[in-house]
Amino acid sequence: MDRNKPDLQHESLKNHPFGVPEGYFESFSERLQQRIREEESSTVPERRIGSATRWLAMAAAVLGAALITTAIIKFSGAGNGANGIYPDLALLEQLDVFDNDLYLYEYLDTASTNLSDDEAFATQAVEYLAMNDVEIDFLLEQ
Amino acid sequence: MPEWDDREIIKGAKSPGQEEIAFNQLVQKYQERLYWQIRKIVVSHDDADDVLQNSMIKVWKSLGNFRSESGLYTWLYRIVTNESLSFLKQKKKKTFAPWVDVEQRMSEDLEADPWFNGDEIQLKLQQAILKLPEKQRIVFNMKYFDEVKYEEMSEILGTSVGALKASYHHAVKKIESMLGEN
Repeated sequence: MDRNKPDLQHESLKNHPFGVPEGYFESFSERLQQRIREEESSTVPERRIGSATRWLAMAAAVLGAALITTAIIKFSGAGNGANGIYPDLALLEQLDVFDNDLYLYEYLDTASTNLSDDEAFATQAVEYLAMNDVEIDFLLEQ
Repeated sequence: MPEWDDREIIKGAKSPGQEEIAFNQLVQKYQERLYWQIRKIVVSHDDADDVLQNSMIKVWKSLGNFRSESGLYTWLYRIVTNESLSFLKQKKKKTFAPWVDVEQRMSEDLEADPWFNGDEIQLKLQQAILKLPEKQRIVFNMKYFDEVKYEEMSEILGTSVGALKASYHHAVKKIESMLGEN
């Protein structure tokens, strides 16, 4: 091979020219084990959680949340609405099970309890006429 | 103890109580090939030893979760290649003087390296390789010294076969030109 212009195709160049200390590969595994032991003893051991365990934990968490929610709704009678039928609105909002119809019912119920006798009579009369398909627009305009 | 094949190693790594045996089998089987891949990138033996240990610790931590989408050796090869490149990046960051070229220093160190057994021409070749851009250097080493197939290289490096062929072609031209200059 021409030393001034080496040929890359020459086989001798394809042998890598590096060496290692004697016994390096024979002792590598032992040194590596030693380093792993040192690292593991100096850090908090990492728990390996299997996929089955992870699914079980998730299922248990969902079941627990459902049981707690049910229990709160069932035993929160003290905070019920005016008729003791509907749960407390604030509680429903907190639990994210708020229902617009429930809110409307509670609002109308509360509003009607604050009326004077005359106003309550007038309201009932309007409702009665409306239920019997009587034209009431002219009355409300007066 | 008979040598385990890759499937047995992967299965062992996922079986409680077998992890350590499986890992030792993996180390015994692949340490030498992985070491040479690293050594060609980082050049010095001490650095290659550090990188191999760091890589193997990563393998130990993630072997249990290894999904057999790629071959075990391809996965290991990818880990050591990435680890070697990260090591070089760290080395460049640690160099206080920005005008010092790390590859240039590696090239100079090679002349005094007690674990370099090559002759003058081999030294020139290694010094020329060190002047290549990082990716071309890796492609050249894998193809020229290890004769890795382009398809396998593509899987390891995540680069298309066409791009790898082009890289190798450019690398060869540059090296021939550099060797011709000396």
